[in-house]
Amino acid sequence: MGYKIVDIELSIPLAPVELAPEHDGVGLIARWQGRLVGFEMIALASAAILSAEQLKSIADERFADRILVAKMDKELLRRRPVGQLPLPSLSIAICTKDRAERLSRLLGSLDSIRLGTAFPSVEVVVVDNASVDSSTREAVGRFKDVLYVFEPRPGLDFARNAALHSASGGLIAYLDDDVVVDRNWLDGLAKACRDNPGAGGFTGLVLPLRLDTEAQIFFERRGGFGRGFRRNEFHNTRFDNALHPVGSGILGAGCNMAFDRTLLVSLGGFDEALDTGAPLPGGGDLDIFYRVLRSGRPMIYEPEYAVYHEHRETIEQLRRQYWTWGLGMMAFLVKSRRTDGELKARHRGMVCWWFFDRLKALARAARKLQGRDLRFGIAELWGGIYGLAGEYDRSRIRVQRIREQNR
Amino acid sequence: MNGDAFRVRQIDLGSVCADADAGDTPSLSIFWWKDLPLGMRASLPDELPYSEARLRQFAAEFSAAQLAARSTPLGAPLRATYEGSPKSALCLTAALGAEDLVGRLDELATASSASAQHISVVICTRDRGPALAECLQSVARQRSAPGEVIVVDNSRDGSARPVCIGFPEVRYVHEPRPGLSVARSAGIRESRQDIIAFTDDDVEVHPGWTAEIARAFEERDVEALTGLVLPARLDTIAQRRFQFDMGGFGTTFVPLLFDRRFFDETRPSGAHVWKIGAGANMAFRRSAFDRVGSFDERLGAGAAGCSEDSELWYRLLATGGTCLYEPRAVVFHHHRRDWPGFRQQIRAYMKGHVAALVTQYDNFGDRGNIDRIWKQLPAYFLRTFVKALFEGPPGRTRILAAEVEGWLAGLQFLVRFGWRKRRTSNWLRKKIDDPQGAARTIPVSKSLSKRSDRRPFLP
Repeated sequence: MGYKIVDIELSIPLAPVELAPEHDGVGLIARWQGRLVGFEMIALASAAILSAEQLKSIADERFADRILVAKMDKELLRRRPVGQLPLPSLSIAICTKDRAERLSRLLGSLDSIRLGTAFPSVEVVVVDNASVDSSTREAVGRFKDVLYVFEPRPGLDFARNAALHSASGGLIAYLDDDVVVDRNWLDGLAKACRDNPGAGGFTGLVLPLRLDTEAQIFFERRGGFGRGFRRNEFHNTRFDNALHPVGSGILGAGCNMAFDRTLLVSLGGFDEALDTGAPLPGGGDLDIFYRVLRSGRPMIYEPEYAVYHEHRETIEQLRRQYWTWGLGMMAFLVKSRRTDGELKARHRGMVCWWFFDRLKALARAARKLQGRDLRFGIAELWGGIYGLAGEYDRSRIRVQRIREQNR
Repeated sequence: MNGDAFRVRQIDLGSVCADADAGDTPSLSIFWWKDLPLGMRASLPDELPYSEARLRQFAAEFSAAQLAARSTPLGAPLRATYEGSPKSALCLTAALGAEDLVGRLDELATASSASAQHISVVICTRDRGPALAECLQSVARQRSAPGEVIVVDNSRDGSARPVCIGFPEVRYVHEPRPGLSVARSAGIRESRQDIIAFTDDDVEVHPGWTAEIARAFEERDVEALTGLVLPARLDTIAQRRFQFDMGGFGTTFVPLLFDRRFFDETRPSGAHVWKIGAGANMAFRRSAFDRVGSFDERLGAGAAGCSEDSELWYRLLATGGTCLYEPRAVVFHHHRRDWPGFRQQIRAYMKGHVAALVTQYDNFGDRGNIDRIWKQLPAYFLRTFVKALFEGPPGRTRILAAEVEGWLAGLQFLVRFGWRKRRTSNWLRKKIDDPQGAARTIPVSKSLSKRSDRRPFLP
């Protein structure tokens, strides 16, 4: 079982898609003139052929509207070009731990787009987060112009902060080591920068890199990390959501985000007690999105600034990930409630909403006898309860110990 | 968020490239492309002023939707889906082939210059002098003057007469029998033109209103038309609740065709005719009244509460007619300012809705109407209640209480057999059973001429 991922260009005649025997579906990445306009998952019979006609009818249904919007946008832009403000220099920060192979894959994908970018300078910083062997250092050595930084304290946000201080660019773009960048990734980020002077940060589209296992397909079917193909803008408050910006998960995901580096430094960087690896592997991105918005600077979601993420392979890994989401969300809420008293009511509201929403999802899964949704739902809920019950404090103690050990 | 008044502002995306808003108050921005309404968006001060990129995004998204809904090669006209919302019929080839989109949009946005001499504007009013004066002023500013303007004064003592004296082109009619349906029927009776356009006394119409109605009836062979009702002001909490929580009078900015198919699809839950539009902005061909009769006098403000408009659309759709929603015909409605008045209105809406469902059931025997009363509405109350508890918006439960009250009050109509016997349309059912009869039209002027007739559309 597995889905074949196909990248189709809609502005040229469509060719049929043939599946290998090990594939029983297609993940369609649709572009119009190179611009990403849609993603669809289609279940098919094993070794089936998706004819050009079938592709066209899917495109009629799913992508045609977005093409018209993209066309209109292009015409409007031609009529009234955006002022060509100088772009900041860019630092790309990749935090990695014991995943030399994936890191090489990512660096490879970056190599092919680094040349000819609109940014005045692009540096790549790899933070080796306490890897046990030298394979990461060796992998970095095989690429040109990559800065290698070793961070001995294990924890993603230790690494992110190390990158923040080692980097020199005006803009810092973070990537997780389990992604590969889209060919328009840099152009998308450049466009977002030009279009939005004054933005504090950017998030982008996250598409699946592979849909080879049941867990990967299941996760992507439930929405994955995708936040859609429409540009979006986030501010300190939002008319249509009274709890905003507390529910900062809608902004995007930590595996693909960029910030004004000076702003991030002035905010004190990432909270090292979040995203600490195995015990509390989440919440750091939520926390930084939240703090950027609270500082009064907007954040922009730009779908053309896209990466492909390698989802968890096994059901057990995925179940654990649901658990960590609940955990990370609640740790973030507990922390924010403590540090940002002004929005206490919203934090409480968010806790209520979150549990209500997850219980609702559980009830739905139970009614429809969807055992897997039920298990994942319970994992996430349990993670939430555990997170609410002092996880942030436990994590702070753990982090303090790590700091002391590495003094 | 509850405290601040919202500014209602109009932005022409065709000419503006930077938003000059000070970002000091929340606002509802209504976007236009010249004379074409494109869409609207509410924003808090933090989200304002809109950046250039934001405005371009709005322009691209809204106008793509307009093109898809209005250009025949791109799939127009759109039928209303089950939810009463538009469903694009755009296909890949058409989207790829479309060229010069801005030019096309400019064409679509050209204001109508159609003559409105064949339109009678009917405004029913009851003891709202100052509002009526504003309404009449806006009617006097029409680009295409209507053939006639009739004010039906539904007050006991003719209090609107002094207001109307200031407008020489207005024909004043006094209809002391209370009830909006009664007043509207009186307006139909008095009118002489082929198309009758209704608006309310708490409305200001856009300068192109009559011209757009004229154009829509010229281009489309429909019996009834409804248009876009935008909020004029959002100063008070009651006005904002009505607009934002209850959806105001609709938020769709693309034209939609409501036809027999929409009727059949939504029939199991009582045919969602209320999604067609609002009485504050609707027009009919005179022949429509000849065919299915006038407004049911048991319904509407001053009687059961409301829904006299949607019940008439129900009759039209049930007998094969079509209604067009054309948002180019724009009016601005002054929502109730005070909370008790707003609450009262919500209660009246629900009560009137139940009464209309009973009426529709009696007229056509569609079980869906009764199912809606007993199943869908209580389910909606429960859903809304649970959602309001956990997700808000705050204050939604108070509105819900008014809705439930209205529903309870509306249940009386189920057992008021005398009320139900005064049914509107025995003849109508006969006409459906007997297609020959359906061809015969009943001259409305004759049946309406007797004032004492409680059922003016019966032969």
